[in-house]
Amino acid sequence: MSAVRAIVVANLLRQTRDRVGLFFMVVMPFVTIMFVGLAMGGAADARIPVAVVAADGDPTAAAVLRELSSSPALEVRRADSAEEVRADVRRGAVAAGLVIPQGSTRFDLVMTQTSGSGMAARSEIDVAVGKVSAVMEATRAAEKAGAGPELAAEHVRAAQAESAAVAVRDTGGDSGGPTGFAYTAPANLLLFTFINSMAVAAALVESRRIGMVRRTLAAPVREGTVLFGEALSRLVVAAAQALLIIVVSALMFGVSWGDPLGVTVVVALFCLVATGAAMLVGALVANPQQAPAIGPPLGIVLGMLGGCLWPKEVAGEALTTIGYLFPHSWAMDALLALTRPGSGLGTVWTEVAVLAGMAALALGIALIVFRRRALRVA
Amino acid sequence: MKPALVCTDLVKRYGDRTVVDRVGFHIDEGEAYGLLGPNGAGKTTTISMLVGLLRPDGGTVTVGGVDVAADPIAAKRLIGYVPQDIALYPELTARENLRFFGRLYALPRRELAARIGEVLELVGLADRADDRVETYSGGMKRRTNIAVALLHRPRLLILDEPTVGVDPQSRVAILDNVERLVAEGMSLLYTSHYMEEVERVCTRVGIIDRGRLMADGSKRELVAELGGSDRVELVVDGDVEATAEKLRAVEGVSEAVVTGTSSVRLLATGGRHLLPTLIAAASGTAAVTGVEVVEPDLEAAFLHLTGSTLRD
Repeated sequence: MSAVRAIVVANLLRQTRDRVGLFFMVVMPFVTIMFVGLAMGGAADARIPVAVVAADGDPTAAAVLRELSSSPALEVRRADSAEEVRADVRRGAVAAGLVIPQGSTRFDLVMTQTSGSGMAARSEIDVAVGKVSAVMEATRAAEKAGAGPELAAEHVRAAQAESAAVAVRDTGGDSGGPTGFAYTAPANLLLFTFINSMAVAAALVESRRIGMVRRTLAAPVREGTVLFGEALSRLVVAAAQALLIIVVSALMFGVSWGDPLGVTVVVALFCLVATGAAMLVGALVANPQQAPAIGPPLGIVLGMLGGCLWPKEVAGEALTTIGYLFPHSWAMDALLALTRPGSGLGTVWTEVAVLAGMAALALGIALIVFRRRALRVA
Repeated sequence: MKPALVCTDLVKRYGDRTVVDRVGFHIDEGEAYGLLGPNGAGKTTTISMLVGLLRPDGGTVTVGGVDVAADPIAAKRLIGYVPQDIALYPELTARENLRFFGRLYALPRRELAARIGEVLELVGLADRADDRVETYSGGMKRRTNIAVALLHRPRLLILDEPTVGVDPQSRVAILDNVERLVAEGMSLLYTSHYMEEVERVCTRVGIIDRGRLMADGSKRELVAELGGSDRVELVVDGDVEATAEKLRAVEGVSEAVVTGTSSVRLLATGGRHLLPTLIAAASGTAAVTGVEVVEPDLEAAFLHLTGSTLRD
């Protein structure tokens, strides 16, 4: 075991000497989490932009507009057409859009499905529309009961004034909607753990190239010991990266990761897959300059497919389906599911089983290939 | 006492190419043995089999009585191996590299710190021990490479071309170190394509060429096989190939090889008296502009045994 420790310690020491590598492990993930988180509506005090298409003079539209404008969380602006709203939502210029056709009570809500700010906008719009429809219902009820339109309006206004206090209490507390960080923190955990594992593979290629791996074998150690030591070195780096992101995002951005056991299992399995991938690149690539050229781009592509750069739903069905061939999608689903209250390891057992299978496969292949290419005394 | 190393009939093939062909020799306890041969002769392949990094296709190796194939771990404990390429982590300091290898050899922690100090002192790197290896000169890296092999006090030190790419100063330091270790009783296997190094350090020499051990013995024994031939170095101006061809035909000349664009090496009995004949024979294809007659040495023995030169 002394030999395994020696290999791990030496590899970690090398890692700490690599300034650029450290920057990508320690600083970069948080810069990304912060910027993307803010862009996706992470800041609680920022007003969420919403576009509304409404005809002038339509009383329903006017009432909804009034309600939306009174919401402290929203910044409402008028748009001319449904197309314009859709374009704005797609561009991210607004978090959501509402199209109110003339004389109809069927509104179209335009939003991307899973952006945090879109969700927040939706809940605000729901509240506003709910209020307006309640007023309309009450007015109709009053008219049916025999009151003239003016009298009915007066009754409703009185009732509204009474309930205002309640309504204020409802919306004035916590802003409640999902913040962007809840999405970007797990997304970037997976993205950076994988990418940096691949980058670490460069050190492994270098070890092979300069003959360190073979030199190690000239010492009285077994092949299996060297193999285990090299794999453990990569796993420790991946796990440290993941742990760092979990702890710092919880402390800095208030991200709650959910059931600790579930998160530990999912993240650990993902780290094992990343280790397998790193060992495979480390075994197959001949030149240390090739590893950073292959690894991180691969990590980014898998991250895209797995919803680590943008929500999977944005990517469309075909890409999402392809994404499920890789560990990122499964781990992302599991981590997002675990943030929901009341969920635990049992909630994500399918994802855990798939990740475990992938980890076994990746590590198994990697270790066999690494042994054959780097260690075998032929 | 058991011999430090015995290898018999070592064979290594890659496809239908035989890289090492029935090589066998032994090194007694405390003896310094040199393996002399040009690049590509099979020295490194042979050593890789001796240290357990390459599985022979035939033959056996025992180190200090331990069969390398049967118990590689025990055998490796007895060997201090200095590979031809620098095998050190460049991002780590010499001390950190030594600590790494010390742990691989399972040296106890307290003993290790002291031993690292000793070997650093021995190779003259104590004052740079805490600098990263990547900041070292080629010679300093070589010396660190050697220090690594000495850490666990091996019975047999194996040095594979330890002076390649080294500045003259470091080369002298390395050779001094090796001589001192041998004087202190360390068994040594030293490979090189530099005749002077092997002559200086080793008491017994094996001559290896194209995967075969052509002869082995003390320097005197090898030179005696020449039967009184001298080595004659000629500098010529003209067609070297044709000149070498002509010279080979001269009575008393046993070998003639081209060693450069304008140099030819001969083995000749009574070289000194043969010179006028040689110069006359060369005329027509080239003019002889320089002549040197050298007492029989390993270079001459190598030419005699292999018909070629140590350096290509």
